[in-house]
Order: sequence, then C-alpha cells, then structure tokens
Amino acid sequence: MIWVSWRQHRGQAISCLAVLAALAVYAILLGTSMRTAFGNDALTACLAHSQGTACPAAVQAFTNKFGSEVNIAFWAVTLIVPGLIGVLVGGSLIARELEYGTWRLAWSQTVPRARWLAVKLALVTGGLIVLGAAMTAVITWYRAPMDRLTGHLQHNIFDFEGLVLTAYILCAFGFAVLAGLLLRRSIPAMVAAFIPWLAIRLVIEFVFRDHFLAPLTTTVNCMQGGCGEGIGFVPQATGRIGDLVLSIQGNVVTYQPADRFWTFQFIEAGIFVALTAAALGATIWLLHRRAA
Amino acid sequence: MTQNDAGDSPPALRTDQLGRRYGRVWGLRDCTLEVPAGAIVGLVGPNGAGKTTLLEMIIGLLEPTEGELSVFGETSHSPMAARLARVSYVAQDHPLYRDFSIADMFHLGRSMNPSWDQALAQARMDALDIPLKRKVKSLSGGQRAQISLTMALAKRAPLLVLDEPVSSLDPIARLEFMREVMATAAESGLTVLIASHVVSELERLCDWLIVLTSGRVQLAGPADDLIAAHPLLTVPRATPDADLPGVIIQRTDSDRHSTVLVRADPARLAAQQHPAWQADPVSFEHLVLAYLQRPSARAATDDIAQAAARPGPSTKAVSR
Repeated sequence: MIWVSWRQHRGQAISCLAVLAALAVYAILLGTSMRTAFGNDALTACLAHSQGTACPAAVQAFTNKFGSEVNIAFWAVTLIVPGLIGVLVGGSLIARELEYGTWRLAWSQTVPRARWLAVKLALVTGGLIVLGAAMTAVITWYRAPMDRLTGHLQHNIFDFEGLVLTAYILCAFGFAVLAGLLLRRSIPAMVAAFIPWLAIRLVIEFVFRDHFLAPLTTTVNCMQGGCGEGIGFVPQATGRIGDLVLSIQGNVVTYQPADRFWTFQFIEAGIFVALTAAALGATIWLLHRRAA
Repeated sequence: MTQNDAGDSPPALRTDQLGRRYGRVWGLRDCTLEVPAGAIVGLVGPNGAGKTTLLEMIIGLLEPTEGELSVFGETSHSPMAARLARVSYVAQDHPLYRDFSIADMFHLGRSMNPSWDQALAQARMDALDIPLKRKVKSLSGGQRAQISLTMALAKRAPLLVLDEPVSSLDPIARLEFMREVMATAAESGLTVLIASHVVSELERLCDWLIVLTSGRVQLAGPADDLIAAHPLLTVPRATPDADLPGVIIQRTDSDRHSTVLVRADPARLAAQQHPAWQADPVSFEHLVLAYLQRPSARAATDDIAQAAARPGPSTKAVSR
C-alpha cells in the first residue's frame, strides 16, 4: 500500500520539490546579497547597542533596497502558494479515483478502503509537513537579516515563519480531500476548497490574529517624529524592534509584544491543524459510512 | 447443476431479504438467492434494475440497507479484508491507472493482495504477448480488458464478478475475453457471476440465471431447471387464462392459437395437459426476454406470492 501511494503521488512529490528548489534559488540569491549589504552597512554593530535608533540612515538604506522584494512582492505572491499546493495535492486524492472509475479497482482489492485512505493520507500529510517545514526553513534563513530590523510579528513575516505555513498547506489539503469526495471532480474540488481556505486565512489574519491575546498599551512621546506603526518603521513606536503596533492614539500605543511570536504561532497553527483534522476526519467517516 | 441446500461447504453466494436504498428509492429489495460454488451465473436486467447495486454489495463496495449477504461464508459483518479476499471484480469499462505501466499495475495488485499470484499474471501477459513495460494508456480496449481480467484472476479469490465485461469490446475481443474467463473458471473451479445485456452471450456460458427488474429478483435458479419449469404452451386462442396451469408469464395471441409461456411444475403439467395443447421447451433467450418484458416488477412479485400461496404449481425454482 505504501508503494501504491508513492507511485500515485510521485509526480506531485517531484513538482513540490521543483517548487521548493525554485524558492531556494531565489532565497539564496536574494539572501546572500542581503547578508552582504547588512554587513557593509554596519547594521550589526548599530543594532548591538541600539534598537536601530543610532543609525536611521543605514536602516533606511537597507529597507529601501530590500524591503519591496522581501516584504511586499514576495508576500503578495506567496500568500496563496500554501493554499495552491494544498488544494492541488488534495483535490485529486479521492476525486481522481471517482472521476476515472478507478475506485472500483482500488477498493475491490484485499486492502479495505479505510486502510487505503489511512495510508494515503498519512503519507501525503507527512510529505506536506516535510515540504512546509523545508519552505519555512528556507524563507526563515533568507529573511533573517530583514527580521533583525522588523521582528517576526508583522503580518507578512508571521505568515512564513514558525508553524503556520505548514498548517496552511495542511488545511487546504484537508479541505480539498473532503471536497473531492463530496464533488467527485478534481478541479471543482480544488476551487471549492481554495475559496473557504482563503477566506478563513484572511479573516484570521486580519480580524483575529491581533487579538489572540489582549494587547498591551504603553505611552510614548512621538513628538520627535519617526514614530509609527507598520513594517516601514524601525523601531516600532514602542521603541523596541519586533513589537507589533496595532494603533497609536495621542501618545498611547496599543501593541503586541515581540515575545508573543511563538504563542501566536501555536494558536494560529492550532486553528488550521484543527480545521485539517476536522476535514480529514469527516472524509474518513464519510468514506467508511457511505459506500460508493 | 444441483443446489447445495444443506451442504457442508458454504454456498458461493447467499442473500436473504437483501435490500439497498438510495435516499427514498430502493435500488434493490427482497433479494433472496443461494448460488452454489462452481456455478457460472448470468445476471440479467435492464439498466437501473439493480444489477450494479447487487454486484457492489457482493464485492463489498456498498453496504446493504437491510437483509443478509454472505460470500463463501463471509457475511457483511465479517472483517472487510476477509470479505474482499473472497471476491475479485472486473468493473465495467475496465478502470486502470492510465499513467501506470502493466508492471506497475501488477505491483499494485501484489502490494494490495496477500494472495496475489504474480506467476499467473506474468504467464498470461506472455501468452497474450503484451510486454509488461507498456503503459496502460497505450493499450487497446481489448488489452485493457485482459489486464483487468488478469488482475482479478491473480487475486486468487473463489468468486469472480464481472460487470458488463464485454460491452465495450469488439466481437473478436469479446470472444477472446469470454474464452479466457471460461477456461480459467473450468481450470480452477471458480464461481463466476457475469452481469450482461448480451443474453445470447450468457446462454452459451451460464448454467445459472438471475433476472432482475425494477430492483426485484424475477427469476433465479439453475438454467436447466428454469427452462424445465417454463413450458411454452400452444393453445387454442379461446382458452381463458384461468384454465391454464401455473403462472402466466407471457401470452401472445395469433389468429387461431395463443402461445403462452407459463411457470408450472413439469410433473403437474403433464397430469393437467389438455389434448389440444402442445408444450415445447422454451429457449434461454425467450425465457429471459419474457421476464424482462413483463409489465411491472410489483405484479411479478405478487404473482410469485400468489403462486406460492396456491396449492397449485410449485415455485421451487423461483428465488430460492
């Protein structure tokens, strides 16, 4: 059964490796020049004794040079990539068997279909976890210089580091497997899984994430200028790199502190893993219960 | 072929009041059958009669809504793997993985069936002169059918189920395919269940017959017994139905005579025989078509119930 799963999914595995390789090439090229620039600009020394306040010109030069590639373009494209990978792999897993009638062949061998599904899901899920972890590692490595200026809690950074990237892939995969069983067609299943995935993903990012834990407040004196929120400000209005400023009203700053990164990662990844488990559990139950 | 009522070994297939409902519609209902091991069974019925429903329940692809089913003693409560091991299945249109080679398909068979017979699979490909390296998508329809059959045979299950196995094949490929099935069945004592529209094909092959219409079993039993129990009577046209013996299955009136297919116990019929009547044996095809053309399944079932209640003709061969 392991061989069967491998044989049926090896094409997808190779495609995923190709995506990973392309990402790695891009990351190495950009990451290397970013590291060089980071050293040349003496940012390391500057950051060692201040939160970037001692060398605003160097910080600005660096963020101007790399900010758009690293923070904007990359983020916009890769926002949907985990979802695409997940639905492409998951949409065909059951739907293709139903589309081509091969379920009659697959499920009439001596291996019961429950086991057939369990082995497939386990192997493909395992493969996607490895892929997600590898993508996270590549992105985290290449972003490292930029992260020293921006921290990890900003939206477009948080989405690619830690656990959430893998959890996004798994969630899209789980939705697509379930949709494939219900719709019996690969392409409609992929579309039907991607839309709710994206909706949930955006709602969690823009509505719920900032409030996973109650934000802190502090008062600052913003009169000198250079005090603001968002990814372009180093340091953030709180004066510390890595804090996520939610709002500034007068001189009261509402923010999430940088050290909540892993807590937030666990919360958000937990939500997506729970959605994955629900979708895959429903698939197993439906396939077991309904026959054909 | 004799029936194995209280036999030592379990029958190949036994169903009792088997039914399957899809939403509010019954795909199959009140299906009670007992097929002995070694029978070559033809399953006939129009589209939507419940053939595929019955086959899929036998294979284990579909669970019954009601009733009991056992295949060589494994019931629907047995572990799934034990049930699946008793049946091999050649599905309609012979589904295979298009991007697999034949060797890959056999590898799949080997890894999904503990009883897989690789030597048999390879020997059959050698005999057919199909290289194992060939991709499934490069094969002709006839060759795909042969691969499907080979995979089913190499599973080494005692019951072989074929769903419309030749409907997509040209006449030569049909002949070759069915010859292979019959040769293997004879060689290894398989029980074979063939669902088909091609009644003439079944006549040559089958020694057992099941006719399904509208989700009901209309007729089931050894073909010879069924033919013996259905004399084709030629009677004067004026003869009223009530005077005829047994249950009238089909009556065709011409100018002076009527041809009536009845279901009646041959011994009783001989005793009741009117001098002006002539009884001929019915052909297999005529018998099947007569049942397929009966107006309503419900009526047929009522007939059977009435006939069973009446002391008259036996319904021994029907649905038992």
